[in-house]
Amino acid sequence: MRRGAFTPYLFLAPGLALFAVFRVYPLLEGLWLSFTNARLGRAQQAFVGAANYARLLDDTRFHVSLWNTAYYTVASTVPILAVPLLLAVLLNRGVAMRTFLRGAFFFPFTLSVVTVGLTWLWLLDPVIGPSTYYLRAAGVPVRSWLADPATAMWAIILTTVWWVTGYYLVIYLAGLQDIPRELYEAAAIDGAGGWRSFWSITMPLLRPVFLFVLTGGGPGDATRTVVQHLYETAFQNFFHFGSASAMAWVLFVVILVFSLLQFRLLRGHTQY
Amino acid sequence: MSRAVRVWRVLLTGLLVIMAIAWLLPAVWVLVTSLKPTENIVRVPPEWIPWPATIGHYGEVLFSSSRTARIGRAFFNSIVVSLGSVAVVVLTSAMAAYPLARMRFRGRDLVFGLLVGSLMVPNAVILVPQYVLVQRLGWLSTYQGLIVPEAAMTFAFGVFLLRQFFLTIPSELEDAARIDGADPWQIFTRIVLPLSQPVLGALAIFAFRSAWNDFLWPLIAVNKPDMFPLPVALALLRGAYAAESYGPIMAGAVLSALPLLIVFLVANRRIVEGVRVSALKG
Repeated sequence: MRRGAFTPYLFLAPGLALFAVFRVYPLLEGLWLSFTNARLGRAQQAFVGAANYARLLDDTRFHVSLWNTAYYTVASTVPILAVPLLLAVLLNRGVAMRTFLRGAFFFPFTLSVVTVGLTWLWLLDPVIGPSTYYLRAAGVPVRSWLADPATAMWAIILTTVWWVTGYYLVIYLAGLQDIPRELYEAAAIDGAGGWRSFWSITMPLLRPVFLFVLTGGGPGDATRTVVQHLYETAFQNFFHFGSASAMAWVLFVVILVFSLLQFRLLRGHTQY
Repeated sequence: MSRAVRVWRVLLTGLLVIMAIAWLLPAVWVLVTSLKPTENIVRVPPEWIPWPATIGHYGEVLFSSSRTARIGRAFFNSIVVSLGSVAVVVLTSAMAAYPLARMRFRGRDLVFGLLVGSLMVPNAVILVPQYVLVQRLGWLSTYQGLIVPEAAMTFAFGVFLLRQFFLTIPSELEDAARIDGADPWQIFTRIVLPLSQPVLGALAIFAFRSAWNDFLWPLIAVNKPDMFPLPVALALLRGAYAAESYGPIMAGAVLSALPLLIVFLVANRRIVEGVRVSALKG
């Protein structure tokens, strides 16, 4: 072997060790655990076949949480795609104070999920929250938005849009800057209006950006409700590591299929 | 520029400024609440000027709250964990990204493919087995039990980000150094790393943000109140005070947002650049 052939592996070693021990190994161990009756504090575990998966078929709470996750994903997709896109297109029209504006929209993205949650719990408090006062003053009947199942999902989507819009805004702005100006100039010469060039130039050329936003390149925490259930199963109520691992793998496969579908859908669109 | 265009731009700017201020209102409300004496917090109509103002809630959550983990201590824990994780992530990803960008060797595409593929795996999937692993190592409720898994979580992203950047560095400098007899490690530390400072900074900020804000992993990996990082301590604070008083809770929320706010104000452009590189230059 020639001298220096080991060099790349030496550079890779520390990182790959970290990755192998704390990412790859747990992933495989989780797959194994999902076929056992492992519990917190139990030293030995036995292979139980697909029993954990079979039990998930009857676990109505798991079904509800999976359904909520699917519902949230579908319902939140449009606002999470559209709100930052609208802002990015407006910001790209030569407005002043771009740095301030971008910063203001980006700021919530620096907050933790706990801080965001505390903020909106306080804002939407049905008794003493400020939103309650203003909505009442405007004649809107106030409910306990977060406790009522009919509105809780929308309150969460609103909160999430507030949280992540700035992040996607930055990505869209970068995508818009990469579109050559000549395309718009040529379109204008051919008599295309602003709306027409938006649909014929901006939207198709932003496709890679949509793909990034959709496939969870960002903080996409659509999995929250299932994760909540998983957490309770593993660490709060039952300490069933086996069934929690089975849930995790079902979730993983569902997400994978969903992402591949989205990928297909967007790829099958106009090609440039 | 025609007059109509100029008028249109002024109107548009005005509209966006109003929207941006509306966007900031929830955060402003948190800050305002944290500065009001308890008896003024629940007022109808809501008061947006915290006068008379007090910093008493900050003192209470930082030092004297006996009911929960003190926010002061949690703040310190979060700093240790986040900085530790940043150090591990930046070092390991830079070292791994360099050969992936610059050297030819067997298994390179496989390694890179695995790392990028792992970005698709939700963290929740490995939550339970990671707990089992950290428990077996005896790392529950320790700093390393938080730092190392947090770093592992961001490592693949870091490699991806840095590799994309290393590919854009012209290789002539490295060739010249090689002719002068520099070995790969010298080339890496004396030429590549100094040229990569902006993107290393962006990665550091990204890693800091994700460690600072992570909630789920510390929630299960720590069971000593003295070792809680901020998000967990904050969630407990809410449980302890319930609706009885929003003052201390909001003071805690402001404190937890402060470091990232400062980083963000200082390095606004760099963060934006980091997001840009990571998302689009793939």
